[in-house]
Amino acid sequence: MEEKIRAHLRKRKRLLILLLSVSLLFYFLLPLSLIFIPDVMSRPSFFYNMPWAWLYAILQIPMTWVFVGIYHAFAKKMERTMPVNKEDAL
Amino acid sequence: MNPTYFLFLIYIIVCTLIITYWAAKRTKTTPRFYVAAGKLTGFQNGMAIAGDFISAASFLGIIGMVALRGYDGFLYSIGFLVSYIVVLFLIAEPIHRLGQYSLGDVICARFPGQHMRLLMALGTFIISILYMIPQLVASGFLLRLLLNLDYSLSVLIVGVLMTIYVVTGGMIATSWVQIVKTVLLMSGTFLLTLIVFSHFDWKIASLIDKVKDGSPFGMEFFRPGHLFQNPIEFFSLQLSLVLGTAGLPHILIRLYTVRNTFQVRRSLISSTWIIGSFYFMTLLLGLGTVALLGYDNLFSLDPTGNIAAPLLAHAVGGDFLLAFVAAIAFTTIIAVVAGLVISATTAFSHDIVHHILKKGKSTEKEQLHAARLSALAIGMISTLFALSLEKINVTFLVSITFIVAASSIFPVLLLTFYWKRFTAVGAITGMATGLLSSLIFVIFGPHVMNPQDGWILREPLFSLYNPGIITIPLGFLGAIVGSLLSGKKRQSIREFERFFVRAHIGMDTRREVEWRR
Repeated sequence: MEEKIRAHLRKRKRLLILLLSVSLLFYFLLPLSLIFIPDVMSRPSFFYNMPWAWLYAILQIPMTWVFVGIYHAFAKKMERTMPVNKEDAL
Repeated sequence: MNPTYFLFLIYIIVCTLIITYWAAKRTKTTPRFYVAAGKLTGFQNGMAIAGDFISAASFLGIIGMVALRGYDGFLYSIGFLVSYIVVLFLIAEPIHRLGQYSLGDVICARFPGQHMRLLMALGTFIISILYMIPQLVASGFLLRLLLNLDYSLSVLIVGVLMTIYVVTGGMIATSWVQIVKTVLLMSGTFLLTLIVFSHFDWKIASLIDKVKDGSPFGMEFFRPGHLFQNPIEFFSLQLSLVLGTAGLPHILIRLYTVRNTFQVRRSLISSTWIIGSFYFMTLLLGLGTVALLGYDNLFSLDPTGNIAAPLLAHAVGGDFLLAFVAAIAFTTIIAVVAGLVISATTAFSHDIVHHILKKGKSTEKEQLHAARLSALAIGMISTLFALSLEKINVTFLVSITFIVAASSIFPVLLLTFYWKRFTAVGAITGMATGLLSSLIFVIFGPHVMNPQDGWILREPLFSLYNPGIITIPLGFLGAIVGSLLSGKKRQSIREFERFFVRAHIGMDTRREVEWRR
């Protein structure tokens, strides 16, 4: 495989791993925090005295939108900067 | 039956049949039947994915769960939504690039062979049927409850409609029924949310105060832990939810219905916006139910909470709004089951009949004929099954579908796309281990073995209701061990690199050339 394609795929892989790990970490910290620090998560927050757990859970919705948006922007850029003709790489 | 309910029901049926008639005139080729010839736009497909994904369990169940279980009920929605990150980042684009109609095509792009195709078709078929039967049974109960129809008649109506959509209109009709469902569902939920919120002078503080008054737990209602007490069970459920969508065939085959990977991403982004907004509204509606109807009142009427939304609609908008919500619930069910029928049909007619029985040699006309016959048979058999299951509790099958998908199809797809040492034997062992372990854990778990009301009246051998925490790693382990033990059959580095380039940056605009007919 041509070196330029390898570099392209490596770059894609690096960013994918970063985005995936951060988003899944953000997600799994929710059940983990409820399991390991339930008292902290049940404390009233600044938002109408609702427990912190509510805020964190609701934040998962915009978090998903932000991450899929970032991925789309990144993938678009990667497609534009494809190093060689794709058919040649095949 | 109340005339308003009847009119809404007839209106929905007539509208969807007109769509099907329009679609039937366009469904003359196999690409059009199976994948709408890849002609949907990203946004249309996003609406169809949301329509395929949001089941009656989401619409009615989650509002009820939030009303009765507070925070813990809302956690289901979060898992469902975040699962789309996994689908988009890891699975969606390679599936679109490698497959034609089914998941079998995708795996066979790396490991060609009839055994592999058969196994993927079986996995798809099992998951689709497991999910379809409880939806049909639920439709019987729901329509009986909301529209006062007989159980058998309700199941028959839904079963006949879904069969007509798929047999005559294929993926085009299914997609547009799902799009109409999403429009109805989102507009209805938005309207209901506005009406409910107006009862609290548009103030969150007022809503929260009324919830405290309406619940016997006061502020404690908002504390986590009203449903999930066992941390392993809880984590296991979250794991299955977040990985399950990436193995659901009826969602994944929708990625073929657009032209290129740009539209694939756009589909998934649109669906996350729709699904996220929807779940946020269901949260407000669940809290609104407690505030306006009262926890005790709701619990005494329905301890499962499934009729919370209809009760709320009736309380704030009378018969008319209740009829509208019932119509939404009806459309929700038919859209989801139609998606499942076409998924099972593709697995059977394209993978098993065309590729395995006919060795890939059937003509276009024969393929289309086989697809329509398969859809008819699958629709009829599922309906007959559902008719005979009136007295058996099958609701747990919905939750185990995610576990089966996350333990079998997801590991195989992921390792196929990313692991160079993965082999055909590994794919077979991974699929078999994931499928069998999840079925065994469910059969010998408390859903089925239960001294009070189980199918088997005995103490369960496994205590977990959601065994994903064990079965998902087992699925991966089966695939990895199988691959390592069959290392000699591994692809060469060159072969893998060619596949990898094709999967991750390969030609993705072929449909523009091939299927414009």
